[in-house]
Amino acid sequence: MDMAFKHRLIAGVVFAWAGFAHADAQLDRAMQDPGNWAAQAGDNYNQRYSSLKQINASNVGKMQAAWTFSTGVLRGHEGSPLVVDGIMYIHTPFPNNVFAMDLKTQEILWKYEPKQDSAVVAQMCCDTVNRGVAYGDGKIFLQRADSVLDALDAKTGKVVWSVKNGDAKLGAVNTNAPHVFGDKVITGISGGEWGVRGHLTAYDIKTGKLAWRGYSNGPDEEMLMDPDKTVTWTDGKLAPVGKDSSLKTWKGDQWKTGGGTTWGWYSYDKELNLVYYGTGNPSTWNPSQRPGDNKWSMSIWARDLNTGKVKWVYQMTPHDEWDFDGINEMILADIDVKGKKTKALVHFDRNGFAYTLDRTTGALLVAEKFDPAVNWATHVDMKTGRPQVVAKYSTQQNGPDVNTKGVCPAALGSKDQQPASFDPKTGLFYVPTNHVCMDYEPFEVEYTAGQPYVGATLAMYPAPQSHGGMGNFIAWDAGKGKIAWSKPEKFSVWSGALTTAGDVIFYGTLEGYLKAVSLKDGKELWKFKTPSGIIGNVFTYMHQGKQYVGVYSGIGGWAGIGMAAGLEKDNDGLGAVGGYRDLQKHTALGGSLTVFALPD
Amino acid sequence: MKPALLCSLTVLLASVAVPATALSEGPLYTVVEGYKVDANTMQGFRTWRSAACDRCHGPNQEGLVGPSLIERLKVLTPEEFKTTVLGGRMAKGMPSFGENTKVTEHIDQLYAYLKGRSDGAITRAKVVEIEQ
Repeated sequence: MDMAFKHRLIAGVVFAWAGFAHADAQLDRAMQDPGNWAAQAGDNYNQRYSSLKQINASNVGKMQAAWTFSTGVLRGHEGSPLVVDGIMYIHTPFPNNVFAMDLKTQEILWKYEPKQDSAVVAQMCCDTVNRGVAYGDGKIFLQRADSVLDALDAKTGKVVWSVKNGDAKLGAVNTNAPHVFGDKVITGISGGEWGVRGHLTAYDIKTGKLAWRGYSNGPDEEMLMDPDKTVTWTDGKLAPVGKDSSLKTWKGDQWKTGGGTTWGWYSYDKELNLVYYGTGNPSTWNPSQRPGDNKWSMSIWARDLNTGKVKWVYQMTPHDEWDFDGINEMILADIDVKGKKTKALVHFDRNGFAYTLDRTTGALLVAEKFDPAVNWATHVDMKTGRPQVVAKYSTQQNGPDVNTKGVCPAALGSKDQQPASFDPKTGLFYVPTNHVCMDYEPFEVEYTAGQPYVGATLAMYPAPQSHGGMGNFIAWDAGKGKIAWSKPEKFSVWSGALTTAGDVIFYGTLEGYLKAVSLKDGKELWKFKTPSGIIGNVFTYMHQGKQYVGVYSGIGGWAGIGMAAGLEKDNDGLGAVGGYRDLQKHTALGGSLTVFALPD
Repeated sequence: MKPALLCSLTVLLASVAVPATALSEGPLYTVVEGYKVDANTMQGFRTWRSAACDRCHGPNQEGLVGPSLIERLKVLTPEEFKTTVLGGRMAKGMPSFGENTKVTEHIDQLYAYLKGRSDGAITRAKVVEIEQ
């Protein structure tokens, strides 16, 4: 027996006795088989990497569409299907239908159509995306728009249990994929534009019983924070957060409607038993109305899977003034950071900075711009961990009813939820990005329960004095904080990337192309025009000895809005040509899945 | 001749007052220099912002996920406009604002503002109130 393995085995037994989370055996086994795509990112680390290499850099040019499937739903299609042991699980945006398909016969084994009040659509403005289902314990977990979390029998599609995760009438809706870690299903909440108080919640995988809920803001006990034990980056080292670390940073009880929602992709380190995720913007978008750092919105979190207790937390954008939600995926990878082998967490934030932290301790190691257009801050002070805001682009300093112009990135960030991928061979990250700037005008708003609580008007457009496009696909060295290569794109790249052992990276574009590029230098090797713009994530699996690569098409989501917002600014006049009109030349609505393979 | 005359008057005075039809007495909206509006229309603009209509219809009403209101208000009657906003058009993704008191109380003002934008009389989305 391999000693390291033996050691892990013993450690595992000890952990189990000590009451550590029991791994879900079915999911663990399914994830170990590279023929499956058993979790939204393929694994618990959000690496979006597959060891399959039948399709590789030398033959990908011959790849062809193998089969297609219409989801029957329009609007934005985010996330991806799952594949477990020859069955594919396909989801749709609202009304959140789920299909189970036998890959051998392509027969639909079951279809689940949840009954949801369509009024929930009103709380989801401006699109009805859903980022996919999760698998574990013989069940498929669906986090519906109306906040109900359904556990379905993976064999029959019958509801095993169902739990309400929030009050949709108050804007607490869901777009995120649930995640199965150990014996729990983890889910978040949306509604930062409705004044929803964010939280991360764990349910028992077998029964749906609430295991814990940790809020993003408010009293220590409701955040599951220990003032003495929970640490954060302070003066160049980690120090306890102290008592009332959130309450002290809000005016009065504004934290109750303070946002910090949690609609991204979570990750899990089994050895550390920690769950990682990010929190979104503080509500409202008018910063003058909510003085203070608004902790712990815009933060990276590490919580114990069993108890939800916060081990460490780090706020990236204190007192947000631009809607730079911190929810993007946390990628766990063991990489060289400044010459030292590190158990790292890498995060590409909406605010345009890429962060590398020590995922064990929460220490801040690297924070650098991953798009040279980023201008709202000069840099992140590595001692305090705070961004150094440029006065000209501060919507707080310019005040309400003043239009702050030329802020880069735009509110949708240098990158939004579209997840990046990692390659263990190169040690680099491959990142779909936005290259968009904005004018931002905050205004006074009043909170009314269940009504929009936004408080800013935005106009977005391609980054000026650049290549004219709205996106880049980049390779990033997270140990050095440097771009390795960058491939310009006409539109924002709003599709999750996939890296494979075949030295090929895949991503989709808003025009609807699925592209295969070289791992080495980003050179385009192959592309195919799918039925609609791609905002879904690329996935791969093996069936009967053949490797397949698939992706959803279906334009929508905020990407569509971003494009549209590029149409004109106030003084451009109506009917101006711009990004959106251009996008209309390339694609139209339509939800479908396209699956590719090499010819026989 | 009459439209031309009205047009030249408009240019001369840089002001438009459009008669209301069924909604209320007096002009539907009054606008000076394309962006200074009466108190009623100003309230319509505030309603537009507070209900965050721009998230779907665009910061300049040009349309995003939702249709261009510049175009739609050329077609919809005031009554159809009210029905659409207060009742929603779920199949198309348009939510109902029937329970949003900021909207229900100011639906006529909202119509006035958007109609002014659609008519081309209000030349930019952001307006200010005419100084008394």
